[in-house]
Amino acid sequence: MFLAWKEMRRAKARFGLLIAAVGLLVFLILFQQSLQNGLLTSFTGALRNQSAEVLVYRTDGRRILQASVISPDLTEMVGQDPSVAAVGRITQGTFSVTPLALGADAEPLETSIIGFELPDLGGPRFLTVGRVPANTEEAVASEVDADGGFAVGDVVRIEPGGKQLTIVGLARDAQLNVAPTLFVTYDAYRAALVSRNPDAGAPLPNALGIRPAPGLTADQVAAAINTLSPELDALTRDDAAEQAPGVAQVRQSFRVIFLLYGFVVPLVTGLFFLIITFQKAPALTLLRAIGAPASRLVASLLVQVAIVLGGGLAAGVGLYAALARGRIGGVTLRFETTAVIVWVVLLSVGGLISALFSARRVLAIDPYSATTGAGVGR
Amino acid sequence: MNEQDEFDGDRFDGDESVDHAPAPDQAPALIMEKARKVYPMADSEVVALDDADIVVEADEMVALVGPSGSGKTTLCSIAGGILSPTSGRVVVGGVDISTFGPKQLTRVRRELVGFVFQSVNLVPFLTARENLLVVDELGRRTGAPARRRADQLLEELGLADRAKNLPGQLSGGQRQRVAIGRALMNDPKLVLFDEPTSALDTKLGMAVMELIRDEMKSRGIAAIVVTHDERITQFCDRSVHMEDGKVL
Repeated sequence: MFLAWKEMRRAKARFGLLIAAVGLLVFLILFQQSLQNGLLTSFTGALRNQSAEVLVYRTDGRRILQASVISPDLTEMVGQDPSVAAVGRITQGTFSVTPLALGADAEPLETSIIGFELPDLGGPRFLTVGRVPANTEEAVASEVDADGGFAVGDVVRIEPGGKQLTIVGLARDAQLNVAPTLFVTYDAYRAALVSRNPDAGAPLPNALGIRPAPGLTADQVAAAINTLSPELDALTRDDAAEQAPGVAQVRQSFRVIFLLYGFVVPLVTGLFFLIITFQKAPALTLLRAIGAPASRLVASLLVQVAIVLGGGLAAGVGLYAALARGRIGGVTLRFETTAVIVWVVLLSVGGLISALFSARRVLAIDPYSATTGAGVGR
Repeated sequence: MNEQDEFDGDRFDGDESVDHAPAPDQAPALIMEKARKVYPMADSEVVALDDADIVVEADEMVALVGPSGSGKTTLCSIAGGILSPTSGRVVVGGVDISTFGPKQLTRVRRELVGFVFQSVNLVPFLTARENLLVVDELGRRTGAPARRRADQLLEELGLADRAKNLPGQLSGGQRQRVAIGRALMNDPKLVLFDEPTSALDTKLGMAVMELIRDEMKSRGIAAIVVTHDERITQFCDRSVHMEDGKVL
């Protein structure tokens, strides 16, 4: 500790800059982790946080809710399967909606409206406030849109046609396609369609929400339904969110970024300590020559690595905690504890492993070099 | 002995490894008998030290003189536990170190021997006082006694007002004095000076040698001063000449 502290005290700027660099990289990693999760939640949160354990699409809809249309015969086929306890029809469309809380002349917003037949098979799963809609005049909105004229008690108007819906509840992480999202009853959805187009008929469901028969898991039910017809594409709730078009590509892109950052932090730390190990090679050689055990010098190095990593991680997490809140565009950012823990562990281990290269150099010091003026860099 | 063992137990007491050794304080600081150091090369070998015999008494100051490549530094390195002899017997302060492994030699360097090297002598990020205290930090950490000893040594070396200066803020002569203080911190049996004046001008070199002689004699510590400058020998009790790895 003596050597480690003394050196760091005498080179505050050098070590301070390294801590700042590590902190900045940690912040960027965590911020982008939040960005990725926020983006995906905004895309598919309504699927992950709807109440049906299993969703059934039509195959040619390619797992796009709006593109999938389930015919009555397929609905009946699914409903008769013994693995299914109950079926609820789900429909979804994009509407122009004016939040009247912002003024009657406010710009209409492209809004996803999800209609559910049964509240526990396609309705919102987690309400943070309020209740599920009980009639054709009510809706539950996504919580993140509350400030945009979708708070409980606010009224929104569907354009054209002028049908109005009153917000009676807010659902957590329930956006679809990065747009304000409303959950309404199936009848309310039909009323909205008719309001926009008086000639519209009864909508066919875009998907079916399934309640598994007692004793069966969601995976088993999805597998059973998929054997019924090649036209059916049943997925568990999480799979429906995860396998929505574009999600895998987004994850892949971020994974590459994370991989790069995951290498950069240990690389920066490792190179820094390798450079200063070379720079102070004569001093280390002198210390070995006057009786410093190699293990003591390595311990001193590792103490410095731990301080730099600890300081950098603390700075990065602190910055992340301060800044990773609120919204960027339509994406909501949150402080993600799990991500923090995972990255702190990964980067700590990576940083310490990278420091082993410097430790090897220290262990390779020959005290005899002190008599020649050379160091480990020979 | 593992690394931790180095910090357990007592300081080397001088009679644990040597048969018929006199009391530690009266034992010669260095006994080297038929010490040989050979470096194997591709098809041959280089003899850096050729059956060297030398005895340095407990308070004796010996000048080791010879041309470059004569084996002076090799002899000193073996005497100080920096190198192991290929064969022969080496006893430092009454402790036979001939067969010691690297970890035991590290302890010898820390407890029995003081070093003043030709080139790099101080840790640049430690103050003058800390360069002395580091000797204690590397060993058993006595704390307050070590701090008192460091202050006393700096006072005696005329560096009390420079205790908080980094090596870069000291003159060449001051740096050498700090190095001498560091070499004395562990109360060694033997101090090895490798060309201690080579980086100094003549006047300062002579002053440093005077200081070395005074410090060694006042403390009764043995010293070997490696030099190729005959003028240095006047400060020592006797000179030992080397050539081609042999003590003449």
